[in-house]
Amino acid sequence: MRVFACLISLCLLAQPAFSEPLPMPASAQLCVGCHGPTGGGIEPVGPRIAGLSAEYIAQQIALFQQGKRQNPIMAPMAMTLQGDKITQVSEYFASQALPEIKLHIRGDTVSFNEPASTLVYQGDWGRLIPACVTCHGSSTLGGGQFPRLAGQQASYIKTQLLAWQTGTRKGDVDGMMASIANKLTAAEIDALASYLAAIK
Amino acid sequence: MNKVILWSVPLLLLSSVSIQGVSEALPDKQAELFTSPKKPTDSYLPVRSLASIPKGEFGDKVRMGYQLFVNTQQLRGQYVGNELNCSNCHMDAGRKANASPLWAAYLAYPAYRKKNDKVNSYQERLQGCFTYSMNGQAPDNDSPELIALSAYSYWLAMGGLMDQYQVAGEVPELSDKALVLGGKRDDFSLPEAIASAMTMDERAKLAGRGFPAIPKPELAYSPERGAEVYKAHCQACHGDNGQGLAIAGIYSLPPLWGPDSFNWGAGMHRVNTAANFIYENMPFGKSITLTNQQAWDVAAYVTSKERPQDPRLTNKGVADLAKQYHQHQGYYGKAVDNGPMLGSKAYPVNPDK
Repeated sequence: MRVFACLISLCLLAQPAFSEPLPMPASAQLCVGCHGPTGGGIEPVGPRIAGLSAEYIAQQIALFQQGKRQNPIMAPMAMTLQGDKITQVSEYFASQALPEIKLHIRGDTVSFNEPASTLVYQGDWGRLIPACVTCHGSSTLGGGQFPRLAGQQASYIKTQLLAWQTGTRKGDVDGMMASIANKLTAAEIDALASYLAAIK
Repeated sequence: MNKVILWSVPLLLLSSVSIQGVSEALPDKQAELFTSPKKPTDSYLPVRSLASIPKGEFGDKVRMGYQLFVNTQQLRGQYVGNELNCSNCHMDAGRKANASPLWAAYLAYPAYRKKNDKVNSYQERLQGCFTYSMNGQAPDNDSPELIALSAYSYWLAMGGLMDQYQVAGEVPELSDKALVLGGKRDDFSLPEAIASAMTMDERAKLAGRGFPAIPKPELAYSPERGAEVYKAHCQACHGDNGQGLAIAGIYSLPPLWGPDSFNWGAGMHRVNTAANFIYENMPFGKSITLTNQQAWDVAAYVTSKERPQDPRLTNKGVADLAKQYHQHQGYYGKAVDNGPMLGSKAYPVNPDK
């Protein structure tokens, strides 16, 4: 029964936000100092969290609480959120609108002339690196448990890929994301960070 | 004598599925292919970069083949009746060894099939993919789509052979008529260095073809144990009900069962085929992570769920079809966990979106 209730709440969380942005709950007050009043992000102190799925945001709060994502600022912040507040905060930021982007559908381009876009749309299977868009969606739009990368701050994308490499970010099933990050070179991480940030 | 030739459209319409335009028997084009275990000494054909597809009319066909392969949904409602793309199972756009690469498949056709006592060309095999794996309606012989998919496969195969045997230059162009036949034929023209290095039969059995066969499980495979494996390793991407994940309406993480997945005639509905695929290719981008037993169990779980109907179903019903076409490791016509007989509540073949 509990499993069932969990599944239901997951389904509800996974609903995309088409409606009006929600009013800010009191529990989100603490977040806006670094993430901005609507979660648009303040580089370099806080990444954009607006428009991420509520499922993803809630999952990340839990990972910070469990220490699977390590960050000296976010760890105590996440601990202030318990119970319903996690859902309120997640839904608030998930409801914030993001700029529409013109979707690149796989196959639209057959060959790319630089490494970052090749990795994003085709991967490098010689090294068992799948295309980013396979999980993160067309143009890395994100959905469900996969965050939107398009238009995210380059500095944040870079620190996250490095965190996957060093193990200060965990929580992916079977280490799938860690395994990909670990195969990327420093130059590829820089190139990917700028490329993804520039998808607008 | 093959009874299926006697099927007709009115009979099919009486059944629970409606199939338009099927006027003759659908042969078993997804008959089990010969698979062999992986060997540590295996080396695979190199693949050319997509950037090296030549300019011009022939190159355009190759490019179109690639585009259809990775975005097969552009044919939805025409030839495709589910939410899959070819590249969901054929990793790296049909280029990855041990994920049924196109370069190996192309050189294995035309192939003689004992089951229908017929030689199937490459384009007939591709038609089988549309009918079963894509739960759709196969494009006609020599249609632009089948020519393009054949051209992409041929270019990968020939380019790989040329690079392996250091034959310089562009892949020789073939006529459309020749492209759709496949590469396993005596009149398939090959540079001398390649022809003298491997026989036709050796080329048809390249290392890396298909999904490598894994050993039988220690315990009989079990959907019940598989459910636990699914929850732990598969559900995050494929969903709690096998529904896959669509982002902005586009599925990139494919549905594994239910109305939007491959149908009961597709090769992947066999437990052994699914187990071989899963063991080698899942979790995505990781390869070989599950134990042999887990791969078999989760394959049993996924293949014991209802999916679109086998298009070969007649008014004789599921049990009859199961007897004729499903004498293998699979759940069609069987009941699991006291549920209804699988196939009896199957989803429609080639539905409108």
